[in-house]
Amino acid sequence: MLRIIGGTVYDPANGINGQVKDLFIDGGKLVASAAEGRTIDATGMVIFPGGVDVHTHVAGGSINFARAMTPEDHRRTQAFIRSQTRRSGIGGMAPTTFATGYLYAGMGWTTVNEAAVPVLSARHTHEELADIPIVDKSCLVLMANNEIMLDLLEEGEYERAKQIVAWHIWAAKAYGVKAVNPGGVAAWKWGKNASQLTDPIEGYATLTPGSIVTHLARIVAELGIPHPLHLHCNNLGVPGNISTTLETVKHLDGARAHLAHLQYHAYGGDDWDTMKSEAAQLADYFNSHPNLTTDAGAVLFGDTVTISADGPWQHLLYKLTGRKWGNLDVENETGCGIVPYTYRPSNLVNAVQWATGLELLLLIDDPWRVFLSTDHPNGACFWRYPEIIQLLMSADFRKECMAPLPTAIKNRITLPEIDREYTLYEIATIISAGPARALGLHHKGNLGEGMDADIVIYNREDDIARMFGHPRYVIKGGEIVIEEGDIRETPDGREYLVKPFYEPDTEEFLRPRFEDRYCMSFENYPVEMERIERSQIQACASPDSSDSPQ
Amino acid sequence: MGGKVTCTLGEVKNRADFIVYWGGNPAECHPRHFTKYTLMQKSKFLPRGRKDRTVVMVDIRETKSVKAADIFLQVRPGKDFELMTILRAMVKDQEVSDEQIAETGLTREQLTDLIARMKGARFGVMFFGMGLSMTRGKHMNSAALLTLAAEMNAFTKFVAMPMRGHGNVTGADVIMRWQTGYPFGISFNRGYPRYNPGEFSTVDVLVRGDTDCAFIIGADPGATMPQPAIDHLAKIPTIVLDPHVTHTSRLARVHITTAPAGIAAPGTGYRMDEIPMPLRPALESPYPSDEEVVRRIKEAIAAKPDWMGQQPQMLLSQI
Amino acid sequence: MNPITFRLKQEPTVTLEAEVITPDRMLEMSRAEIAASTLYHGKRQRRLDEFFEIDGERSDHLILHGDLTRVRHLGRAMTRGSLTVQGDVGMHLGAQMKGGKIEVFGNASDWLGAEMLGGEILVHGAAGQQVGAAYRGSMAGMRGGLIVIDGAAGIEVGMRMRRGTIVIGGRVRDFAGLEMKGGTIVLQQGAEIRTGAWMRRGTIISLQPLQLMPTFAASGSFNPTFVAVYSNHLRQHGIDLPYRAEAGRYERFVGDRAIPGKGEILIWRENAA
Repeated sequence: MLRIIGGTVYDPANGINGQVKDLFIDGGKLVASAAEGRTIDATGMVIFPGGVDVHTHVAGGSINFARAMTPEDHRRTQAFIRSQTRRSGIGGMAPTTFATGYLYAGMGWTTVNEAAVPVLSARHTHEELADIPIVDKSCLVLMANNEIMLDLLEEGEYERAKQIVAWHIWAAKAYGVKAVNPGGVAAWKWGKNASQLTDPIEGYATLTPGSIVTHLARIVAELGIPHPLHLHCNNLGVPGNISTTLETVKHLDGARAHLAHLQYHAYGGDDWDTMKSEAAQLADYFNSHPNLTTDAGAVLFGDTVTISADGPWQHLLYKLTGRKWGNLDVENETGCGIVPYTYRPSNLVNAVQWATGLELLLLIDDPWRVFLSTDHPNGACFWRYPEIIQLLMSADFRKECMAPLPTAIKNRITLPEIDREYTLYEIATIISAGPARALGLHHKGNLGEGMDADIVIYNREDDIARMFGHPRYVIKGGEIVIEEGDIRETPDGREYLVKPFYEPDTEEFLRPRFEDRYCMSFENYPVEMERIERSQIQACASPDSSDSPQ
Repeated sequence: MGGKVTCTLGEVKNRADFIVYWGGNPAECHPRHFTKYTLMQKSKFLPRGRKDRTVVMVDIRETKSVKAADIFLQVRPGKDFELMTILRAMVKDQEVSDEQIAETGLTREQLTDLIARMKGARFGVMFFGMGLSMTRGKHMNSAALLTLAAEMNAFTKFVAMPMRGHGNVTGADVIMRWQTGYPFGISFNRGYPRYNPGEFSTVDVLVRGDTDCAFIIGADPGATMPQPAIDHLAKIPTIVLDPHVTHTSRLARVHITTAPAGIAAPGTGYRMDEIPMPLRPALESPYPSDEEVVRRIKEAIAAKPDWMGQQPQMLLSQI
Repeated sequence: MNPITFRLKQEPTVTLEAEVITPDRMLEMSRAEIAASTLYHGKRQRRLDEFFEIDGERSDHLILHGDLTRVRHLGRAMTRGSLTVQGDVGMHLGAQMKGGKIEVFGNASDWLGAEMLGGEILVHGAAGQQVGAAYRGSMAGMRGGLIVIDGAAGIEVGMRMRRGTIVIGGRVRDFAGLEMKGGTIVLQQGAEIRTGAWMRRGTIISLQPLQLMPTFAASGSFNPTFVAVYSNHLRQHGIDLPYRAEAGRYERFVGDRAIPGKGEILIWRENAA
């Protein structure tokens, strides 16, 4: 049992905005009262629900490929030293699994969603997730370039495609569905891309990226998956891609969707020389379409490694930078590209990207629909989130950071005209309550009774980045994991899954198609339930879900 | 500066119409490679199977695998790196003289033809074996092939992949990477992982005599390493976990017999393309698994006083 | 200022990591502090005075005696002063150093002066592999300073170096100047194979014939003035770099065309007597 008394609580899920309130914890949950146990005097301190990252890349084949490619970064970054209770690790651009848990928890994040998992290597992803301590985890399976599903959509077999998606979610032991560059990754297998939403995809007669978006969003909704379709639009990072993005969301036909790393999809201009931010236009559209949520995919200046299932974009980046390039195509499902990258304030394109991310966060007016992310590690590493919080909370600090940008930035961004400053309540919404709700994790990002006792306690400080980078206490599942900057406990987190309903004959339908294309036995393809450590199945909204087969 | 551009083996099966084996002998070393992935398979994109694929074998001698190839390029021993570097130049239309090409044992016509086929392929793949990675030049030979494949993507789709062997070496590589950031050649002596092949790789540590104890799982260095390394293993306390009696277990102070992984012990094996496969034991073994032995040793060590002394939790600057 | 003398009194049985022994650190330390500073013997922390007899304090001139083959990271990132080794010495000597001078009267090991930024390293014996090189994955090796080795050196000398000078008196093994981006390597006794492979820029001067990569092209012969300047500069280290037209000329080769790069390899041809 634990009591936290006298703290100033920001709990947007319950409309609590800076009220002094005592919190009581028992059995890992928040409760009405606790008679005994340690008492934390949080007088004068700020209390948030634990952070929730809706979109990050922390486990699996791609980030592990990035680790292999960046030993020079591992050497220059922070190292965690082992102790009798803690594993060693390396931070930096692509942190090791143990360090990932320590770094997230160290800044008060207690739930993370790994946003890109191929079924074929899902077993690997889960093995890595099991090695990320402290935080709770979930992951999204990549479907928008799954060739078995694409073939079915081309054949007009919508119902069958839906069964296949449900089967794959369960096979991957995933929590939801991610669509990356629909059709484009499949085309990349031939060194091509899919840049027009209404043009047929390379290798298909009629199927277009637009129709994949329409169908997948509907499938995810009909299966009752708690998190809507997690959508990485086509033409990521390309000047002028605002038109693609707007066309993509129109293809949703009003269905719910979460738009991943929107910053990378909000550009105007015709080429790199004329590229500008269209965040204002996109935010306008977004504000009037309540079916959408998004995460910013904000960029911070500095070194990082970009890693994306968007192979074509990564090849372009390699050609632009002349640095190392890794690429991994995954049969029938997806691919990924990896390129180390440095965002520089002196580079006009990078400066526009930096401003665009902040503009989206500042111009989308509902904090329940736009969340903090950097698309880690693409825009910046997740452990730099406190810097973004500072940029959002201080217009003066933003002005300071804009000073060194190239003069040509004028008329390409609207950031200088925005004077909005986030309140603590709004910050608590975009880093915790909002993403938890969008993920459908209702017991997260919420300090109400009965909810998970994931709590962050900050010292109130003028230096905002410091305040959010160094919480006084972090409590995960009722246990104090961080205290005064020290890692106290490293409990293992849970993994959230869903088990959507699919027709019992799906497997037999799938088997010959699988055996035709893949090169492993069908039995070895799905991840067995016993391979998931501390799993927790979340309910799907569909009434059928209770009598799922298996 | 190049990089690694690769794919899973199913991509090769489904799409590769142009396949190069360089310094490898799959017919004898990876006997299922031809039939499962590269030659015999038909697919939606390659409906005529073998007829839709071109196979090139590059090697210093005519191995058994050569019979399966459409084109055999016999490179002069020790000239692989030079040949790959010439190809990198020629695909970019850089001049290389006939005499310089002849040094590699091949002719301009052979190389011009090869490059035309590479650029004309829809999906090219290059596999390389120990004939490349373990001969003079070693990691630079691998780097040359990986870079050539990466650079070919300026013209068409191209990937490269090492033909790895020795059980689950890929699995060890994958797990070391997620736990430490590095694939092999790692030292933990400072309480956090440090990487430097040549300094911390097993064979170098043993040859220099930099270690006073050895713990060996799933490997038989006593059969493969140079004599000074083996001599050092015999001199220090060496502990071996292995289902079988091996060269190494014979020179070890302690040999703990364990259940064979994949046969009597479950787990995950990583294929050469890093795809994880479940290992489902078919038999029972009276012996414990490697994992259990290691866990029990670890528990016993944890009960002892820590040797680390006072250490900060985190270092901002490493040595 | 009197130097501090370190005399190895106990042979390490495994590697001994001694990054604390740099002029910068020792300048600030009393004798007691030096004695108590930490070395890593394998995984164990040991006091410096368990391994070394120490004479002197608070100096940025250090002299080490003994067989230091297993002692690594000496002079790491030093910026000033001097470090003299009487004997053989282990890996990473002077890695990332920025200034000052290191002199070895014996043999040095691998990664000598790796990623160094400035200063001088003189080795009167042989050196190991990756002299002045980039560590694995780094974009740049040596970025300034001078390394002079009287004896031979191993593979990958000056790998990815960007600036600075490396002079090797003895024969060098494969891949000297691998992926070089700038700076100068002087090979007094030539090298084995693959010299200058994949180089982008920079200069390799060899006083002996070289087996060149097939991707280098001959580009005339000449007596460049910059070699004369170099020659004058290196004379203070007892190095004789020929440049006079009366004595011979340099044949110039440009590559590596695989990149395609603009590096140059100059090979000295003496005039026929």
